[in-house]
Amino acid sequence: MNRTIWTSIGAGLVGAALLAGPAAAQGVIRIGVTQPLTGAFAASGNYVTQGAKIAEDQINAAGGVLGRKIQLVVEDNKSNPTEAVATAEKLIGKDKVPVMMGAWSSTLTLAVMPKLMEYGVPMLVETSSSGKITTSGNPWIFRISPTSEMEAKAFAAMAKKMGIKKADFLSTNNDFGLGAAKEFSEMLKGQGVQIGTMETMDPKATDFSAQLAKIKASGSDTLFVTTAVEQITLILKQAKEQQLKARIITTGGSNSPDQLIQQAGDAANGSFHLVFFTPWFPEAVKNPDLARKFVAEWNARKYPVGGLTEGFRGWDGINTIVAAIKAAGKAEPQAIQKALWNVKVKGINGDIAFIKQGPAGKESAQNVPSVYVVKIEKGKVARN
Amino acid sequence: MDQLLQHGLNALMLGGTYALLGIGLTLIFGIMRVVNFTHGELYAFGAYMMYMLVMLTGANFFVALVLAVALGVALGAALEFVLLRKLRGADIDTTMLVMIGAWIALQNAEQLAWTGVAQSIDSPFPSAPLVIGTVSVSWGRVFVFCVALALIAATYALINHTRLGKAMRATFQDRDTAALMGIQIGTINNATFALGSGLAAAAGALLGPVYVAYPTMGDLAALKAFAIVILGGLGSIAGATAGGFILALAEELGAGYISSGYRDAMGFVLIILILIFKPTGLFAQKERVG
Amino acid sequence: MKKLLTALWVLFLFSLPLWMGNQYVLHVLVVTGIFIVAAMSLNLLLGYAGQLSLGHVAFFGIGAYASALVSLGFSVHVTPDTVLALAPQPVWCGVLAAVLAAGACGWFIGRLSFKVRGAYFVIVSISFAEVVRLIALNWVELTQGPMALNNIPPLTLWLPGLGEYTFWKKPENYWLVLSIALVSYVIVRRLVRSRAGRAMVALRENEPLATSVGIDVTRYLVLATVISAAMAGAAGALYAHYIRIVDPDVFLFIYTVTMVIMVITGGKGTLAGPVVGGLIFGLLPETLRAFAIPPEVQWIVYGVLMVLVVYFLPAGIVPAAQQWWQRRQGKLAIAKAAP
Repeated sequence: MNRTIWTSIGAGLVGAALLAGPAAAQGVIRIGVTQPLTGAFAASGNYVTQGAKIAEDQINAAGGVLGRKIQLVVEDNKSNPTEAVATAEKLIGKDKVPVMMGAWSSTLTLAVMPKLMEYGVPMLVETSSSGKITTSGNPWIFRISPTSEMEAKAFAAMAKKMGIKKADFLSTNNDFGLGAAKEFSEMLKGQGVQIGTMETMDPKATDFSAQLAKIKASGSDTLFVTTAVEQITLILKQAKEQQLKARIITTGGSNSPDQLIQQAGDAANGSFHLVFFTPWFPEAVKNPDLARKFVAEWNARKYPVGGLTEGFRGWDGINTIVAAIKAAGKAEPQAIQKALWNVKVKGINGDIAFIKQGPAGKESAQNVPSVYVVKIEKGKVARN
Repeated sequence: MDQLLQHGLNALMLGGTYALLGIGLTLIFGIMRVVNFTHGELYAFGAYMMYMLVMLTGANFFVALVLAVALGVALGAALEFVLLRKLRGADIDTTMLVMIGAWIALQNAEQLAWTGVAQSIDSPFPSAPLVIGTVSVSWGRVFVFCVALALIAATYALINHTRLGKAMRATFQDRDTAALMGIQIGTINNATFALGSGLAAAAGALLGPVYVAYPTMGDLAALKAFAIVILGGLGSIAGATAGGFILALAEELGAGYISSGYRDAMGFVLIILILIFKPTGLFAQKERVG
Repeated sequence: MKKLLTALWVLFLFSLPLWMGNQYVLHVLVVTGIFIVAAMSLNLLLGYAGQLSLGHVAFFGIGAYASALVSLGFSVHVTPDTVLALAPQPVWCGVLAAVLAAGACGWFIGRLSFKVRGAYFVIVSISFAEVVRLIALNWVELTQGPMALNNIPPLTLWLPGLGEYTFWKKPENYWLVLSIALVSYVIVRRLVRSRAGRAMVALRENEPLATSVGIDVTRYLVLATVISAAMAGAAGALYAHYIRIVDPDVFLFIYTVTMVIMVITGGKGTLAGPVVGGLIFGLLPETLRAFAIPPEVQWIVYGVLMVLVVYFLPAGIVPAAQQWWQRRQGKLAIAKAAP
């Protein structure tokens, strides 16, 4: 019994000592980044981090900010809320970062939010789409990505033009998919479109034949799909196998048309995609030079081409944070938070500025981004 | 009615590969009494080998298929030799833990080697489907179905009409007596694990081009394999085959008519029901004592 | 002497937040502590009763969801017309609900395991956890599905004289989890050394023999499962109110694996085993995080380490350490005795 007591103490002490870690380096401004680098969202998390790294290098090459270089401290939240909380604790508690970016998915971001309130550190949300994030009364949240509601509204005009009469939904069974299905179906109902069947699937599922058979039987002319690119590839292929006549529109921005063309082949032809960045025709975005430079640097580093449509989020996020640090004059959480409200940044998606959203007195910040629709035909991405 | 037929056809095509997975696991589980958590990883391995061979080295699709299965067999034999040989006689917890550790290591090695991005594998089949009346199915799946049936038949022949198969059946019925009779249990174990792993790799190599290859693809496959083993009864090839098709049908009908979200739950619900009402499985050959 | 050492050690643990200012380390210790409680509960079932339960995370998750739902309030349609609703209740009510709900599920599994044993039970337990996960995922009206239950209130304690006290800060949560861990340890210890405990061990070692001596197999199996499940449910409730967000991923198989690793490498069937295993495998991932190696490599190290521990210390670390110490004692005794 004694041995075990000492063994446990020993294990505990060694562990705690290792956790205490080295003292913080002076001179650099650290920016915390929590992203899913492993787990279900690993692909997207890595793209965002790559975009962020490009921004880091470009900013440091231009002299950094406030005369100091910036340093991204990247932690892997393993696509898991408990780990997301752990990364927030580590970044704030141990690395003492004054500002963070993350955490990719809505559930992960929601998990981190109480920590932001507890320690008073602002976080820039670059991808999450759930409305809850900016309406929970957390003044430390600054989101540049659109909510599903915004995306649906931005698409409304296009929907009318396409002449949709009856629509089905196939969404991945998480906050991202279900949120999009809800918002888009409501937007369409408002236009008088009939809603057919709303199907879901597990985020890890690979066989959608049952859902597609049901959708085929419903007789709709359009199918809205919201999920990550791997599942979209399979859905396109299987829809072709089952001879689904409906036109397919994917939403959410994690749809990477390049990867779809590469992996789904001609099953991808005729599909439409809502994206937040059009690397194939940079002239369509607000700041085409920035976009072109980004695409060139991405390709120079030989990052996967399919990741461009998500990597830009990391770039936009870091640049927004740095602009705020510059305006604040010091790398301290409260100053940065105040400064973020007033930034106006030229981003790859468009111009970034924040509006208030949420309960009065405790608003969170939300950007109003641009949404673009592209079409895949004959194995290439075309403007719609 | 059309929808029902389509569901039935989908289930038929899927059932073949489920059967392969189930047969592999029921052999390992039945003969070696090992809870094989690496089964799903062999499935993923088969798919990734196809990716490597077809996409990265440009090999012929069918040659690659044969190679992928052979590599799966080899990996299975290696795993058994390295990990399980020394543990013979250890209790089930220990082997279970070792298998779990191997599973974690294998899956992350795959992720390290080929990144977490899903990889698609070109197949030589036309993308336009085969249309039979109002239902359609892709040529790729038809091929998978035929190969799966062939492999099931081959395995059945191996187990029931060869000496090795006889030795395996003897070991399954009574390990100690088999040893007394002069059967090399070590070799049988190795052969069983290799065979089971080879079948899993075959399932992965066949389905990889139909779907995509990604590191965590094995997890769901492994869980379903367990469901099939329970359905069919431990150690029964016919049971595992039937179990595979039953599971596929339950999934298709459940997803189509009850709720698409609960698709993957169908297998587990079936397991629990069977274990409450008929614990030995639908086709068990031996009284399961536990 | 033993009691003094134990008291010193407990005192040391309690004093930790007073001199360790690092909030991150405290956070890791709190989460590790919660998992140690869960591991101790699994040890009861796995180590003492000898039942291979690989679905233990189901009890943990059910406890987490029950507590979260009771403290947040919910309303569901049981039929299209009737609504079952509950207004938000105080947190201690939630924890109680968690323990009861998990215990009830434990009773169900306990009765089921009467019919199946060994490897089949393993699969049933895994399936049970998966089904519960899919229910949590799809029954959106009740559980919010993947949108997760967030803004769960932190733990509050009502103390006579002090009124309500809310656990916002880390040191308080640490002390709370430490206290609950100690209480759980004592419960397991008393149970294991009682008649019921001896019956369970008899069950594990040789079931036919135990039955022939007149031990009621079902009763003790169900008892072990219920207590084990209830304890895991309590750990789940703690988790829900500390992390303050619960989503269906809490039912993932990887958490069961974590608990199983803790119990078996620590030493199943020993009291201190899950504690040692819990400390190692709770702290290890966070320690590895500090060395900026690619996350996949961290996981591979984890897996290989597991295999190595199982190979070289098959009974677990605690029994191996005990054996080593006893051998040393033996050598010392011989040395002393020799002229």
